[in-house]
Amino acid sequence: MLYQPSFLFKEEPLLGHNNKRYKLNTHWSQADVAKNPVNDCHEMVQDSKGRIILLTNETKNNVIIYDKSGKLLTTWGSEYPGAHGLTLFNENGTEVLFICDNSRHQVIKTTMDGRVLMVLDYPKETGEYTKAEEYVPTETAITANGDIYVADGYGKDFIIHYDASGRYINHFGGRGNEPKHLLNAHGVCVDNRDKNKPCLLVTSRQQNAFKRYTFTGEYIDTIALPGAWVCRPVIKGDYLYAAVLQSNSNLWKQSGFVTILDQQYKVISNLGGSEPQYADGKLQELYQTIKYFQYPHDVCVDDEENLYIAQWNSGKVYPYKLSPVV
Amino acid sequence: MNRLATSLLLFFIVTTCYGQPVQLAPPLLKYQSVFFRDTAAVELSFAQQGTSIHYTLNNQLPTEKDKIYTRPIRVDNLITTVKAITAGEGFLSSEVVAATFIKDGLKIISIQQTAANERFPGNGNNTLIDNEGGVADLNAKTWFGYQQDSVEINMLLEDRQKISSVLIHCLQDNGGWIFLPEHIQVFYFEEAKKSFQLVAEQWNPSKEIITGASCVPIIITLPKKIMARKIKIVLRGIQSLPEGHPGKGKPGWLFIDEIKLY
Repeated sequence: MLYQPSFLFKEEPLLGHNNKRYKLNTHWSQADVAKNPVNDCHEMVQDSKGRIILLTNETKNNVIIYDKSGKLLTTWGSEYPGAHGLTLFNENGTEVLFICDNSRHQVIKTTMDGRVLMVLDYPKETGEYTKAEEYVPTETAITANGDIYVADGYGKDFIIHYDASGRYINHFGGRGNEPKHLLNAHGVCVDNRDKNKPCLLVTSRQQNAFKRYTFTGEYIDTIALPGAWVCRPVIKGDYLYAAVLQSNSNLWKQSGFVTILDQQYKVISNLGGSEPQYADGKLQELYQTIKYFQYPHDVCVDDEENLYIAQWNSGKVYPYKLSPVV
Repeated sequence: MNRLATSLLLFFIVTTCYGQPVQLAPPLLKYQSVFFRDTAAVELSFAQQGTSIHYTLNNQLPTEKDKIYTRPIRVDNLITTVKAITAGEGFLSSEVVAATFIKDGLKIISIQQTAANERFPGNGNNTLIDNEGGVADLNAKTWFGYQQDSVEINMLLEDRQKISSVLIHCLQDNGGWIFLPEHIQVFYFEEAKKSFQLVAEQWNPSKEIITGASCVPIIITLPKKIMARKIKIVLRGIQSLPEGHPGKGKPGWLFIDEIKLY
């Protein structure tokens, strides 16, 4: 092997601002591309065993399970051509997954090893849909009691609310010109950081915003993120993390980055993006500054505060890992 | 070891260990509209430590040797293209961001045009003469969007005036099925003949697909100066999207947000 003196190695870049700075590792995944390829890497979660679970629309292996060091542990799934949304839920001590499939127009609940437990078809009970093709679910959020909220982010932008057994309860959002309406409702999550006022956070990606709703679907307010095509909100500890698919100022040119907000929904760090600036309390336009990422699509935060970034349409790259710098 | 072998070994070590430096993104070029009456101030920003913005106003591609941006750039020429990049040690310089700022022309007192598609209705009848626009976003309310064979625009000046060129401001967003006009005809009303006369014609077939969205000012210099009060422009959009486009063979869209007469 060739001797490589340490001075020849470029220092790992440092990304981010304030107390949220990270070192980037683009070679985290040790998967063999010949055996376990990926297409779009859409979403990632960590299970209670510490494993990192990736969902891709590559039907050779829709689900790839890694350890935190990037070693591939196992894979499953070949029946999810439109695999997009991945949510993990602890159901009375047993972990389950919810997969949103864009192509199948369905939400599928599975065990951690891929056994199908429930399938939610297009929600004709809402009266808003006449055929499955109109419904293109992108994300789910599950509340502590098991209620399911599905974001129809590539369909009609409704949030559809079911009970734990999959019985339709109500729906809200949809398109329109009022603040309560959504445009590209790409993600949804439960924000219970404020124990007195838990809420649902919904992405309105083309409006560059998150919108807050009560669990019964009443609109609360909008968190404007000018310039940022935010994907799903991911809450971990006191912080909210989100992949930003691209910058409004440089559309469809691999202009994505990652944003981090504090508990008051104030942007405190952008990884590969502009230093957050507020003028008279108003967030100034966000944009990519360094091309570390192309089209980030999701952030997974592990139990050691490392981040894993899954990317859409980015040359079939495996996820990147970011380690916090303290 | 001879010198060639040493060089090759060093090249191998360096490229293996360093890889390619990461590229910076372009600066943010902010403006309300690229159209202005007398003068405009163009703002650039880039909130990234250790970097600088460099720009040109002479249509040349900017490099790190060009002027560093420190404050808003004042423009007052008829047409000024601001081109800017970012640069910083340890990074590849960014791609160029550019915008062309356009000064008002002869005063058009009324305008009538083919009705735009209801999805892209612009901002009322005067959309093409309101000095608003230049945002390369098909959803901006400044664009008239058309998906039909031809678009006719009739303009009336205050009185008969000398006209030497016409500027048509279009959107190019091939990913969004929006292409530049393929055929443009400019007519003027000749009082003596009491009819419109063709004064200029331009063919611009779209053969290749361009990525990204940008505003394109199409300037047609008239082969002869004319005196006229009424001008008519007929635009023909792309009728068959080119090879390699997902909509190959289908008609494309034509987007316009402003017209100037000089």
